[in-house]
Amino acid sequence: MGVFKLKKGYDIPLQGVADRRVEKVPKTTAIAVQPIDFRGMRPGMRVEPGDTVKRGSILFVDKQRPEILFRSPAAGSVREIVRGERRVIQRVIIDVSADSAEVFDSYSRSQITELSQAKAKEILLHSGLWPAMRQRPFCKIADFDKSPKAIFISGVDSAPLQAETDMLLEGREQDLQLGIDLLAKLTDGKLHLSVSSKTEAFFSKITGVETHQFSGPHPAGNVGVQIHHIDRLLAGEIIWYISPRHVAQIGSFLSKGEYPASKTYALTGSELDNQHYIQATEGALVSDLVNTPLAVNKQRVISGNVLTGQQTNAAGYIGFYDDMLTVIPELTGRRFMGWVQLGFKASSFWRMFLSKLTPRNKQAPTTDMNGEERAFVSTGEYEKVLPMDVLPVHLCKAILVEDIELMEQLGIYEVAPEDLALCSYICPSKIEFGDIIEQGMLAMEKEA
Amino acid sequence: MKFLERFLNNMDKTLSQGPFKVFHPLFGAINTMLFTPGHGTTTGPHIRDAIDMKRFMGIVIFALIPSIMVGSYNVGAQAGVEGLFAAFMFGFLKLLPIIVVTYAVGLGWEMIFGHINGHDIHEGFLVTGILLPLTLPPTIPLWQVAVAVSFGTVIGKEVFGGTGMNLLNPALTARAFLFFTYPGNISGDGVWVALDGFTGATPLAAAAAAPGSAVAALNSAGFTLNNMFFGFTPGSVGETSTIAILIGAAILLITGVASWRIMLATLLGAYGMALIVQYFGGDAVGGMRTLPAHYHLVMGGFMFGAVFMTTDPVSAAGTNAGKWAYGILIGVMVILIRVFNPAYPEGMMLAILFGNVFSPLIDHFVVQANIKRRLNYGK
Repeated sequence: MGVFKLKKGYDIPLQGVADRRVEKVPKTTAIAVQPIDFRGMRPGMRVEPGDTVKRGSILFVDKQRPEILFRSPAAGSVREIVRGERRVIQRVIIDVSADSAEVFDSYSRSQITELSQAKAKEILLHSGLWPAMRQRPFCKIADFDKSPKAIFISGVDSAPLQAETDMLLEGREQDLQLGIDLLAKLTDGKLHLSVSSKTEAFFSKITGVETHQFSGPHPAGNVGVQIHHIDRLLAGEIIWYISPRHVAQIGSFLSKGEYPASKTYALTGSELDNQHYIQATEGALVSDLVNTPLAVNKQRVISGNVLTGQQTNAAGYIGFYDDMLTVIPELTGRRFMGWVQLGFKASSFWRMFLSKLTPRNKQAPTTDMNGEERAFVSTGEYEKVLPMDVLPVHLCKAILVEDIELMEQLGIYEVAPEDLALCSYICPSKIEFGDIIEQGMLAMEKEA
Repeated sequence: MKFLERFLNNMDKTLSQGPFKVFHPLFGAINTMLFTPGHGTTTGPHIRDAIDMKRFMGIVIFALIPSIMVGSYNVGAQAGVEGLFAAFMFGFLKLLPIIVVTYAVGLGWEMIFGHINGHDIHEGFLVTGILLPLTLPPTIPLWQVAVAVSFGTVIGKEVFGGTGMNLLNPALTARAFLFFTYPGNISGDGVWVALDGFTGATPLAAAAAAPGSAVAALNSAGFTLNNMFFGFTPGSVGETSTIAILIGAAILLITGVASWRIMLATLLGAYGMALIVQYFGGDAVGGMRTLPAHYHLVMGGFMFGAVFMTTDPVSAAGTNAGKWAYGILIGVMVILIRVFNPAYPEGMMLAILFGNVFSPLIDHFVVQANIKRRLNYGK
């Protein structure tokens, strides 16, 4: 067991953390499965609008690797296949009706321990839950033909207003263990689980993993940061990673023999009337989850957290990998002499606003950029929010000049856009580090 | 307020095209200074830090206020003006035209290049435009200021691609230009006191000319450690008062605008080198080699450079380890120039420019070390 005390990083003090109580969603009218949630994946459709589906029916497959299946989390009829620019399929919307489920084989713990690696892979692929397993580098669905150096599970919650693992997985310890037993079959390497002092108790009974303890501000909970400290990813290597809630979902599939679609989400953010956890269906419609009235120009609805989540709205759906919804105020317009304000209510990492004198006061910032794009300023602050031995500015400059070799040398494989999200947040030059990293990942994928 | 905002928004539309487009960069700067740009995030992170370049640079200017105040007073006091306010006004009215010319000429160039490159006037110039006047003697001819600012802005910055891309500190580039083209107006004994025909050597010149102990020479010329610390000696407007500069340094460090690594490294480099030089010196040698190390820190442009010039994030080393090397290099160089180069009793400007030139190389080594650690991982 490794103990990692990270000093670098920053917890943005935000209003709107979810109360520790779970409510049941009053109604589920529609859900969606969104191909755009899966980086670089192009779907091959298996349903058409009007088709009736059961919970667990195949909606689409990965066109390049048709073994990877995407199953419906609810029974109902396919309302629409939404296409965006260049006819890219964005989401498959299903109108939910009375529940009926496809039936699969179920497995006990002892049966799982006797499985071969090939069979374990086959079961997971067939379950429709394989997409939950992602790989580094490149943050896309894991390539089942490759064998990873290790599998990482992050049980550390550090993102702003992050849903707490023990709330999401309350009472699902057995499913979690079953899922971990299956994951152990998938790799010849180690199965790493990181916990924090908060989640340690919840994971204490889990066996078959190497446990590590992480402490420190965000992004300590990011799996990329944990990989960097536990077993760095080098050129040519592959690591798989998966969230604890997906592991529990796999366990539930194995024990019940049905596609498990019930999920707990955290409803957070300063613009909600009340913040709490809600038990709903995977891919739920935002307006089913939230009873605060939402207007597009008043509130920003984010599937995920404020740093890395996707913008959506009341008529949108929660993403596959997301376990929370954040609602924050939209930008209200131009502010007079914003740059000389004293900043009692400013949300800032820098010691340039009076709000720094009361660091415990939580703020409710809007979606204002608070400035315009400028050239990089190497103040040394970016390094303070990136707990990795990576030079963020130099890496980004290498990406911008498209120097493939230098990108590789400076650690493009070790980072994902989410790991540098705080760099974008604190940047006085308003540089989009995430977009630049994404650009670098695309360049490397093309090269590979 | 709403009226003004509407007016600016309309103006923005009008100036985006048509014959007055050349004024758009200047307008853009004023526009976003009066009201925040009002751009929202489109991707994650959906919220952004309240900091922007305007506040960043604004704090540097704020930190310069003590130097401007004390420096102005000192210009008056050196010229023999009696009374606190009268002396300040005398000096301020000497300084103001230099600042006005610097801004007018500099912003003119920024506007032209902003128009060519299609961006607004960037905030960096606000700082350059106040730093340069503070490094000049109060008697500098204004036309020379105009020429120097043009050189500093165009050759020092714009040819590299504008703010953020420049290799050298633009304010120091402009000053160096003056120093080498019109040495008679920026060095020697005749330029520091704003009275015609009145000469007054700077403490550095006095120390350099000392036949024996530099401290004795300083004392006999009326320069004590005290009045050099408080800044009542001849010199460039902003550089004389160490205490005013230190107040500025505190502001820069508390807000995190300037790198404490660079400041500390420069200080340590200079102090260490000065100790070494003095150890091998002695009164028999005379001049600068007899000067105790702490005297160097309060004399000439050292402190002003160490606080406001070395820490320019664009021309300094960008890596944290590199900042140490960069600061120490400058600190060591300034002492070497002051002590061993009889032509220039002041070495700070050249030492910083020297450091600027070397900062990419220093960063290169730090980056290579990072690459090497990655390659050697797990071996």
